[in-house]
Amino acid sequence: MRLSRIQIENFRNFAEVDIKLGENAVIVGENKIGKSNLLYALRLILDSSLPDSARKLRDEDFWDGLPRPLGKDDRIVISVDIADFEDNENQLAVLAEHLVKPEPMVSRLTYEWRPLPGLEGEPKNDSDYEFVIYGGGRPENLVSYQVRQRLPMDIFPAMRDCEGDLMRWSRSPLRPLLDQVAGEVETETLEELAGKVNETTAELTEIEEVKAVATAIEKKLVDMMGKGQSLETALRFSPTDADKLIRALRIYIDGGKRGINDASLGSANLLYFALKALEYEQMVADGDRDHTFWAIEEPEAHLHPNLQRLVFRNYLRPRGSSRSDAAKPSSTVLMTTHSPHVASVTPLRDIVLLRQNEDGNATEAVSTAEIELEAPDVADLERYLDVNRGEVLFAKGIILVEGDAERFLVPVLAKNNGYDLDELGIAVCSISGTNFYPYLTLLGPQGLNLPVAALTDLDPRESKDGKERSPLGYNRVVNSMIAALIDDATLKSCEYHELLSNAPKYGVFLNTYTLEVDLIQSGMATRYAEAIRDCTTNKKMIAWFEQLTDDISDKNAIHLLTALEGVGKGRFAQRLASIIEAPGNTACPEYILKGVKYVANKCQST
Amino acid sequence: MSPTSARVHKPPYMLAAAQLRSNEGQFAAYNSAGHCVMLAGPGSGKTKTLTIKMARMLAEDVKPPRGIACITYNNQCARELKRRLKTLGVDDGHRASIGTLHGFCLKHIVLPYAQLAKLPKTYPITVASTVETNTIQQEALAQTIGGDHRWERFQRYRRIILDRKSEEWRTKDERAAQVIEAYESILDTKGLIDFDGMVLIGLHLVKENGWVRKALAARFPILVVDEYQDLGHPLDQLVQCLCFEGGMRMLAVGDPDQSIYGFTGAEPRLLRELSERDEVQAVQLRLNYRCGSRIIQASKAALAEDRDFQSDHDEPGVVYMNECPSGLAAQAQSVCDTIIPEALARRDGRKFGDVAILYLDKNDGNIIADAVARKDWQFVRVDGNNPYQPSPVTYWLEDCAAWCAGAWKDGKIRLSELISRWLAFNERLDSPEQHRHARIQLVSFLYNHRAPDAKLYDWLSGFLTHGLQETIDNEPRLRDDKDKVENLLKVTSAEGQLETVTVAFFGGQGGSPDHLTLTTLHSAKGLEYDVVIMVGLEQGRIPNYRNLTGHPLTEERRKFYVGLTRARHEVHLLYSGHYTTFTRRGPWRHDDGRSQFVDEVESSLLGG
Repeated sequence: MRLSRIQIENFRNFAEVDIKLGENAVIVGENKIGKSNLLYALRLILDSSLPDSARKLRDEDFWDGLPRPLGKDDRIVISVDIADFEDNENQLAVLAEHLVKPEPMVSRLTYEWRPLPGLEGEPKNDSDYEFVIYGGGRPENLVSYQVRQRLPMDIFPAMRDCEGDLMRWSRSPLRPLLDQVAGEVETETLEELAGKVNETTAELTEIEEVKAVATAIEKKLVDMMGKGQSLETALRFSPTDADKLIRALRIYIDGGKRGINDASLGSANLLYFALKALEYEQMVADGDRDHTFWAIEEPEAHLHPNLQRLVFRNYLRPRGSSRSDAAKPSSTVLMTTHSPHVASVTPLRDIVLLRQNEDGNATEAVSTAEIELEAPDVADLERYLDVNRGEVLFAKGIILVEGDAERFLVPVLAKNNGYDLDELGIAVCSISGTNFYPYLTLLGPQGLNLPVAALTDLDPRESKDGKERSPLGYNRVVNSMIAALIDDATLKSCEYHELLSNAPKYGVFLNTYTLEVDLIQSGMATRYAEAIRDCTTNKKMIAWFEQLTDDISDKNAIHLLTALEGVGKGRFAQRLASIIEAPGNTACPEYILKGVKYVANKCQST
Repeated sequence: MSPTSARVHKPPYMLAAAQLRSNEGQFAAYNSAGHCVMLAGPGSGKTKTLTIKMARMLAEDVKPPRGIACITYNNQCARELKRRLKTLGVDDGHRASIGTLHGFCLKHIVLPYAQLAKLPKTYPITVASTVETNTIQQEALAQTIGGDHRWERFQRYRRIILDRKSEEWRTKDERAAQVIEAYESILDTKGLIDFDGMVLIGLHLVKENGWVRKALAARFPILVVDEYQDLGHPLDQLVQCLCFEGGMRMLAVGDPDQSIYGFTGAEPRLLRELSERDEVQAVQLRLNYRCGSRIIQASKAALAEDRDFQSDHDEPGVVYMNECPSGLAAQAQSVCDTIIPEALARRDGRKFGDVAILYLDKNDGNIIADAVARKDWQFVRVDGNNPYQPSPVTYWLEDCAAWCAGAWKDGKIRLSELISRWLAFNERLDSPEQHRHARIQLVSFLYNHRAPDAKLYDWLSGFLTHGLQETIDNEPRLRDDKDKVENLLKVTSAEGQLETVTVAFFGGQGGSPDHLTLTTLHSAKGLEYDVVIMVGLEQGRIPNYRNLTGHPLTEERRKFYVGLTRARHEVHLLYSGHYTTFTRRGPWRHDDGRSQFVDEVESSLLGG
């Protein structure tokens, strides 16, 4: 079972969002963007521990953009679609009344905060409203408490006190697990063990020094309260009752050397998650519930980045498993995070991005669940996110480039021209090659719809067998870049040349030759000579560079590229970047500056 | 076992099951694990067995959140099942859904799935009132074959031939097919659904869509059907489809011998054939806890078939024959002057509630009711000429009246049950706030009107202004009930038949020890009385002169059988040897003697 879709209207930050979800959901976004509100919206429908009084909303819970006073037709509507439950008869039994699609089955649960029906005139205050929760999109089909009870959402708020809960037995997630076991162990076994524990304890308390302490305590108590009120204290490891023996067990860490109170906050969090996960699995196995929607706010709190990556990589997707696995997990995880480390190991399909809309008056949401990507592309992108620490998910805008050379140089060139990419929140990301298609699909309007530009080389080719050959860049721009940015219908309706000449409109920028050649042409011949001196001791090469001019010939261009391959394009670019970095040093290939401006404009408009 | 679970209290059904242990059939049904048909003769404890078995299955076989659906013949049967289940600790609700066939189809199939299955209907679906269906029937006739016809013929056709694409549907009764198709298309264009429509559309959805069967089987892994013999072909097909294709487990209960609704399309063979299927365990309940042995002997004679029933009674019971040569009115007079007073005197503690007068039709009912009314006895009348017609809301009103008349003191009717039924009627109220308001309004009305001797008219008109009118006006599914409640108000007002009636009288209509029962043979089904008085037993009327051979005769026999087997101790058979029909040329007296069934009973008893 999974949540396949969330729709929200007029609730807090959200004017209108429609989010498609994958298996789990990792909700990424800036502070105050509404991550907690999104979870709260779900709690209104699914949290069985939320009292009905908390389901009564207020005027301020309506989206700010709605003109006040609120009118009769203004309402808050939140709905979730649930899918992949039909093979589980218990889940189907709970959801069968609420279907909105039969094959495959999808059920919908809706929360609505609305003016009382039959209200005369406009609603005046909160008491003119009521909430209803209904299923199948049919308002008359009320959803009973039973649904929340069978498919509950449990929330771990950001301000949780895992350590405290672990310490206090009444709240400890260990308790239900041990309770369960205590009921199953043979009474005789327990009695035998209790006898042994008692013997050992007796030996220990018979030690003179220990005995003295016990006597002193008892004496003090008698002094304070008189004999009649004695508490009959004793020093022991566990209560004498065989029945309570198992419940007296506690968790220790570091091979039993240290107690929970010595654990770091991060470890306490982890331990807490693990115990809770076990408890939830147990509850499903025992038939007390049929699924758990587990909402965790900022699970990364207090965890070292490396540990974050390690834990959540496995947590969100145990290795080697996939959606079609027979043993479906009995819980769905919904987490909010600020951590690029968590985001970077999130399965691609589970990402939900929250951000300000273009008008700046509401939060919009995009998700990766239904972006059209082939399995190998998904795998590549996941690896990319992993290696680059999920940077694209946290950037306001992105400039995609082919390699390290651009990655070093573009930020410097931009800054020299008055665009501080760091300040703007624009990331320059290298795709280490020319296969832009999956990246642009993910990031562009067909996917997360982030401000994105892509810079690419023309890569002209020499003629072969007397035949002219068109540069590699043309086909790349049309087939693997623009094709990822516009829908199929538009793509088919446009001519090749039309697409090519409109490329900058879509955010695709092509140079006139290849990065290194375009750079030198923008007026950097002397800077090249300077840079090559730091990269090589080969005097012949240095001399050759020193004779280069800005208007480089085709023959020299080919030679230049070969030479730079030798010293390493990345290394050379890194050097060059340091050399050219200076305010007012505005030399820059046109296509780069256009790309920077394109993304910067888009970012500033939001 | 852990020490804490050692002191577990046994659930009520386990304690009750002890009563089944000594009865082979009942205990076999209680232990059945797969499809099971329980063939249960009169007084065989079928309802007890059925409810205990249901409680057991809910506790042992079906775990939450899944449940059991139970379909029964009418609202009255459903009410009785719910009451019995409550004593076993089972509340009607999410896990046990108990109701009529059309209620089940509407609530669990048509409303959730018709739109998803893209059935061409107008949404939301509204239930047609009786007035509307009558009008549409007339329209359909006018559009097609014209003229004046009894609708039963078409209704029966619609219920019996279910495959609309079949040759049979088109050719067997071409005119009926035409009329029904026109009728349904008018309903459709008006966005209405009638009671048969709920069942037929429900059946269609289940037959055509695997996902509907799957969804139902998930919610209700077990389907229980009570009074199977009365429910006809659509139910039979629904059961076959859900249980033998859809994976639901079936528990069907009924008695082919008590199948008396042939005119609505019911057939005794359907249950018999079901019980003969290989995958079905058939259990026969043989012991009759109700009727004395002589009454059983008489009933077997009437059925003209041997049945292996045994009485569990010490008393054999008595069958009295009474000839009243001057006709039905004289029979009625004799019942009131002699038979009832003597019967009441014969046994200590016997009350009017232990006596029932059974007759053939509502015209006979008028004659009997007049005679009883002249005695000033309180009575309950169940036939087409009852001053008001029953509906779920009038049943509920009777219970409300009974609560006001005294049940609030002795707890026989629980206020919480009245409230939950009220809220179930009020489907348009869909928030906790609205429910709270409705609850307060109802409780304050009932609490302030606890007066057994208040006039029913005053009580009812007060009720109408406290939410009742608003509900029946606005609930699309209560449109039929609205007509019935308003008619009830009319007959209780000045000059109406029930002008002088009190809240207590009305409250007793749901069954009271002080009310004599007047009922047609058909409506007596499922009930039992110490003393049963059957009147109007003339040859030509029972059996009807049109039904003197073959299947029609056996159906007549079953009807007579049902009447006889209502009795615990006494059966009184009254006849005149003649009857009169009213034709265009005036009254026509038929001198065909007393009913052949009376002859057969008599010779069997004399011979035995």
